[in-house]
Amino acid sequence: MLKKYRVTVNGQSYDVAVEELGSVSGNVPAPAAVTHAVSAPAATAAAPATAPAPSAGGAGTVAAPMPGTVLSIKVAAGQAVKRGDVLLILEAMKMENEITATADGVVKALRVQAGATVNTGDPLVELS
Amino acid sequence: MEAKLKELSEKRKSVLDGGGPKRVAAQHEKGKMTARERIEAFLDPDSFVELDAFVEHRAAELGMDEVKAPGEGVVIGYGTVNGRLVYLFAQDFTVIGGSLGEMHAAKICKAMDTAMKVGCPCIGINDSGGARIQEGVDALCGYGNIFYRNTLASGVIPQISVIMGPCAGGAVYSPALTDFTVMVDKTSNMFITGPQVIKAVTGEDVTAEALGGALVHSAVSGVASLMFSDEKATIEGVRRLLSYLPQNNIEDSPLVDTGDDSARLCSDLANIIPDSPNKPYDVRDVISRIFDNGDYFELQPLYAKNIVTCFARLGGRSVGVIANQPNVLAGVLDINASDKASRFIRFCDSFNMPIVTLTDTAGYLPGVGQEHGGVIRHGAKLLYAYSEATVPKMNVIMRKAYGGAYIAMSSRHLGADMVFAWPSAEIAVMGPEGAANIIFKNEIEEAADSAAMRKEKIQEYKDQFANPYKAAARGYVDDVIDPAHTRARLASALAMLLGKRESRPSKKHGNTPV
Repeated sequence: MLKKYRVTVNGQSYDVAVEELGSVSGNVPAPAAVTHAVSAPAATAAAPATAPAPSAGGAGTVAAPMPGTVLSIKVAAGQAVKRGDVLLILEAMKMENEITATADGVVKALRVQAGATVNTGDPLVELS
Repeated sequence: MEAKLKELSEKRKSVLDGGGPKRVAAQHEKGKMTARERIEAFLDPDSFVELDAFVEHRAAELGMDEVKAPGEGVVIGYGTVNGRLVYLFAQDFTVIGGSLGEMHAAKICKAMDTAMKVGCPCIGINDSGGARIQEGVDALCGYGNIFYRNTLASGVIPQISVIMGPCAGGAVYSPALTDFTVMVDKTSNMFITGPQVIKAVTGEDVTAEALGGALVHSAVSGVASLMFSDEKATIEGVRRLLSYLPQNNIEDSPLVDTGDDSARLCSDLANIIPDSPNKPYDVRDVISRIFDNGDYFELQPLYAKNIVTCFARLGGRSVGVIANQPNVLAGVLDINASDKASRFIRFCDSFNMPIVTLTDTAGYLPGVGQEHGGVIRHGAKLLYAYSEATVPKMNVIMRKAYGGAYIAMSSRHLGADMVFAWPSAEIAVMGPEGAANIIFKNEIEEAADSAAMRKEKIQEYKDQFANPYKAAARGYVDDVIDPAHTRARLASALAMLLGKRESRPSKKHGNTPV
């Protein structure tokens, strides 16, 4: 399946065609294959098509242990946390489960908001 | 005679020296003891009696006729732990890598056979490079003989495997067939195929530690029952484990004078359970208040943490405790929790250990992963194990007991002898929210304010069903008790049930779901 995108880099616009080569198994972020069907000013290389890589359960990522709803978030980005500190409350299986930090660190990013529905393995909080 | 005695002592010395000072030093450098040092640390002082010290291999091919292997790379014998008899074997890594050949295996088999004959636990300390390749099919025969005996001894005598070094290939199946596998952090490994073979076959790069170290088997695979930081702690742990167990399947566990009053009130127990049914708590706080001196011995503490399995004592008697852990995954039952609990129940039943269940679970975990992983057949193990068990079975429903999980967690319907419920218990087919949405679907939809109607109907369902009295009205719950009386009532029930006899249809054996 060929999809066409227009990408603008430094004011220059490029037409990029992206072909999907079937799904990749597992959670590995698949770099999309970029075919260089660049039309018009083709002096510079095509813009890199970087997809946001969903790295579930990677190092520093606290992932959802089971499907549920985020009830409240107890930390803010940039906040220092200790191992065992409560990061957020995940309501699942009729229980307000405390999701805790797996290691000492700083909250790099919150990947969910209160009210969000998450599935097993979905990233919740990035620690660094 | 004097010369002959001298010859004897010389021969014995050469066996006691094992692989010689260089290899012993290498073993020590790795933070490991030798086989004999381990035995000495494990058994009561001066209680060890060695057998088969003079066994030799009879392999002649591939240069084996030139190889001397003192003691055949394994030390076997008997001794006592806290005054109680055990048989044991310890593989000696300093003698040709503790490799397993025909006669090495024959020694291990002798230890197992005798342990079974006299009815005492058999402990195996594993530290071996694997099969002695030069001995070919004779080595394989050796492994097979061990596995066969592990299986025959299963449910007859407690079998404990202690992994204190490499344990690879076919060798891993002996521990897997025993009741408990105990590993040492950082110095023990278990895998069917090692990192090099995996690299060659699948291209995956993995270290031995990441592939089959103690932590991996404790937290991920569930192969290990326990892990300890070093060999000394491991040995202490196994001695403590043995203190809860009977010698064999026709004896009871030793009665210990714990000095803790059976009728002691647990007045702070009611405060541990949060008022809101949606708040988690650590069920181990409940366990430590109910059982003697707050003492318990947890198994697989890092695996399937949503269910806790441990040994404890009640009025000095050993019991097996199974408890849902609301602190982890809301205490749900899932594939791994079912596996962990059912194997524990079957151990307790094999060895006459009464079972106490502490129930607080919302049910089986929903999800595609669970269903495709076979939660049906894994979850069935729990039903099977509880139903099959004929030891005294007691259950305390502390809070949630819904649907299939209510049945699975040692319900009256699976043959529980005594079911208590706390006033906080909620015993029903499903939780109030879900149930109200189904039962009162029309009323809620047709109401002018459906949100308010929904709330009202949930409350109506809660009032009617989210309590222990419907179940008590049928006699499925024997009594609703004040949490403070939990210990006293359990101890009384245990004493009452000691004479329990329950017979089952005669059969060769059942077909347990696996």
